[in-house]
Amino acid sequence: MINKKKFGMLALVVVTILLLSSLVSCGPAATEEPTVEPGPIEPAPTEAPPEPEEPEPEEETSIVILLPDDPPNFNGNLIFSGYDRIAQEMVLLSLAELDPEGNAYPELAAELPTEENGGVVIDEDAWTMDVTWKLRDDVYWEDGEPVTADDVTFTWNAAMDPETGIWTPGADYTDSIEVIDDYTFVIHYNSVYPAYLYQMSMAHGFTVWPEHYCDAEQGYSYWDCHMDPLANGPYLLEEWEHGDHLTFVRNPNYFEEGKPYIDKVYFQIVPEESVQKTMMAEGVADVNFWAREDFALELDELEFIDVSPSPVTRWLMQLWINLTARGAADPVGSPHPVFGDVRVRQAMRIAIDVDSIVQGIYPSGDFHNVWTQFFRPPYNICDTPKPVVDPEAAEALLTEAGWTDTDGDGVRECHGCATGAPEGYPMAFDFIVWSEGGEDYVRTGQLIAEYLQAIGMDPSLRLETGAVLWDLDGLELTGNFDMNMWDDGYPGTDPSDYLWVYYASSAVPTAELEGWNIMYWMNEEFDALLDESYTVDEEYRKELFCQMDEIMQAEMPTIPLYDYAELTIYNNRIEGIRSTVNAMVNWNIADWKIVK
Amino acid sequence: MTRYIIRRLVQAIPMMFLVSIVLFVLVHVTPGGPLTGLAGQRRIRPEKAAQLKRQFGLDQPITVQYLVWLVGNDWMKVDADGDGIKESYGTRTGILRGDFGISFKTRNPALVEITRRLPNTIYLMSITLLVVAIVAIPIGIISAIKQYSFFDIFVTTASFMGQAIPEFWLGLILILVFFAWLNNPITGEPLFPPGGMKTLGADFSLWDRVHHLILPVTMGMVGWVAWYSRFLRSSMLDVIHQDYIRTARAKGVAERTVQFKHALKNAAIPLVTILALDLPYIFSGSLYVEILFSWPGMGRLYYNSAVGRDYPILLAILIISAGLMILSNLLADIAYGILDPRIRYE
Repeated sequence: MINKKKFGMLALVVVTILLLSSLVSCGPAATEEPTVEPGPIEPAPTEAPPEPEEPEPEEETSIVILLPDDPPNFNGNLIFSGYDRIAQEMVLLSLAELDPEGNAYPELAAELPTEENGGVVIDEDAWTMDVTWKLRDDVYWEDGEPVTADDVTFTWNAAMDPETGIWTPGADYTDSIEVIDDYTFVIHYNSVYPAYLYQMSMAHGFTVWPEHYCDAEQGYSYWDCHMDPLANGPYLLEEWEHGDHLTFVRNPNYFEEGKPYIDKVYFQIVPEESVQKTMMAEGVADVNFWAREDFALELDELEFIDVSPSPVTRWLMQLWINLTARGAADPVGSPHPVFGDVRVRQAMRIAIDVDSIVQGIYPSGDFHNVWTQFFRPPYNICDTPKPVVDPEAAEALLTEAGWTDTDGDGVRECHGCATGAPEGYPMAFDFIVWSEGGEDYVRTGQLIAEYLQAIGMDPSLRLETGAVLWDLDGLELTGNFDMNMWDDGYPGTDPSDYLWVYYASSAVPTAELEGWNIMYWMNEEFDALLDESYTVDEEYRKELFCQMDEIMQAEMPTIPLYDYAELTIYNNRIEGIRSTVNAMVNWNIADWKIVK
Repeated sequence: MTRYIIRRLVQAIPMMFLVSIVLFVLVHVTPGGPLTGLAGQRRIRPEKAAQLKRQFGLDQPITVQYLVWLVGNDWMKVDADGDGIKESYGTRTGILRGDFGISFKTRNPALVEITRRLPNTIYLMSITLLVVAIVAIPIGIISAIKQYSFFDIFVTTASFMGQAIPEFWLGLILILVFFAWLNNPITGEPLFPPGGMKTLGADFSLWDRVHHLILPVTMGMVGWVAWYSRFLRSSMLDVIHQDYIRTARAKGVAERTVQFKHALKNAAIPLVTILALDLPYIFSGSLYVEILFSWPGMGRLYYNSAVGRDYPILLAILIISAGLMILSNLLADIAYGILDPRIRYE
């Protein structure tokens, strides 16, 4: 027989535990205590004579921005999640930023250093460069301390610490930073570095951190201040309920007088895309960035919703082709059995009807057929002819390259092909699409596979995650792939580093991990032109890049497909939202206004 | 009983050790790595990758990584700055001393990340379980007592539907109906919020919390109610047909006493066992509910750390879950012994 007392006790204990655990989470939200006092620069309140009739206090304005995931922290330079950068943009400033068109503008800097204003001095003999930055003297941290040159050097030195820092663009070219006075410092470069203007910008998640607040002992990657930042930007972090929301309130001491206009900004974490869409449609959320094409088109039909595409594109979808036999790392001695012959790559280029793919899958018009790496201003001036889709010519090229279908199975085989593949080797290969790219990537991959099948190739389409593709021991760096499809791009206007990482002969994967030339494409002429391009003479760079483009068109190390704009869906009660590929959508949040 | 509990706890130690090895190896041999899985980012710059690999300790052989994870590295010298010289002692103390490592993603201790999410999951899951028990137990009892009645047939049908409905689809339908379609006739606002734990910017209110709980609890409970009620019905039916129940009835004991005192108490024993085995869900959460209703709980933390290969958090959740599973098994055995005096653990 069951002991009644024991049963009762057990039930009581279980119920009590359940209720207690519920109450633990039911309490009011834990608001992080402000660690600092409000800054002294706020003008002291003056006593005014009492008004007979006080005006109605203005209603607090607020907006809700949807984020699919929590920001890991407020330092977007550590990893690129985007959510860290959008949070960082709210509270911290960089030296200079890039607008949506790619033009640099000063933020903490009083002006942009150029050769004309003496801010940039190039030593033509040593080919080194000194850049003098002057800071604004009216920018303060939220505790009232001024933002100084010491903060800049503190941040840079912390980031460069080999133990706790992180590699950041420009690191290889920067020798040292010399402080001249509180608001002036000089960066000494060991080479001419064309992208100096946005080396310390949100394009790379690089903002200046306060020396007096962040703990240098903890180190750049680990310090507590990147979870609870001391702001100098337009907003202050008021509350962060991890995984649920972040609340920002306007910084009353922001250096641009009267800005920001909106009192409160909420970042609401909503992981599911369809829920995000429903919330936008119901008007309970205001901004949804990195929006899906189909959602944007659908929501744009609503009267109160607008969509902002970025005026300049960045992301270029490409086919990344392995020119060397799997794992061989030698495109000359052991070329890839199929792709080792340039005629095969050229045949693929004219067999794929990119226009049809773009028009079929992306009807918004924000996706464009792109056939060159130099599609972005100011270097989109090369007169590179658009490839003409011609499947018959593609087939003729393959036949000329020694690939014919003799057994009638629809797949060509090697019969005297130039790649060294054995006689009868079928034109079969793996075609991997980055799975996190989503449904549109898969559809693009399927269409490309069909175009290639139509000319007698046999791609085996499959999906892989970024973690499998791009890990240090992943498929690409170990050379265990044939052809992959994913997109990449660079912020700002300078493609030099981007080109080096992917296309320089010295950037082929090695144990030292110097680059990402996973195609093992090596061209000495291209290398020489790339070296030359490290100059600030823009006209000369244009000339060089066009020469490089000619080589790439002829060699086809990768096959560019299309670029696309970033789309932001927003409630049009807000004015001032402009999508950008050079920073996060809130790059100009201080200018956003509620107009309805 | 005390000796039995101690013996079981001691037996759990080698078990946990073995589990830790299996989990560690499984997590590390899964294709892909943490350097490019962080938030689905595109490929990482090699210079950065090399630095991160060293900072995360991924440049060491897997055996050394396991050792460091288990017992720390504060007793051995490490090359912290990548110059090839092991110049200083490490800072990790290992899970045996409560250090589950630093999250690759946030650079916070894994335990800090877990403790941020755990209360939210306990809050949601314990209430869900409580509601499940409140709803499923009476349904199971009535179904058994009124076997083949309209109520029984209706509940049986509903139970099969409840078990068959995909949880994710159900959640989407709930949001569509109760957030997008139906409005509060007085305020004109959506009947229920689409997610989150509370209204943004609003002061604390118990009703607001309850309001945000209703849809996620509904989504989470449907499958469970169906399963528990069916289980209790079967268990009750087994007991009702036992000889001692027939004897009680023959002796003229009131039907209510027969059903609740004699039948239910014995029928509830297997249910209590199942409940105890389900207790680890209170720690691990429900992934679909948390994703759909934007609930900041352990399920999402686990999913994100698995996708991003955030090994410290992933392993912390897995090893704690494994420990809780072992403990809940023990708890189930103990509860069994308490509820059924015929069982003796000697």
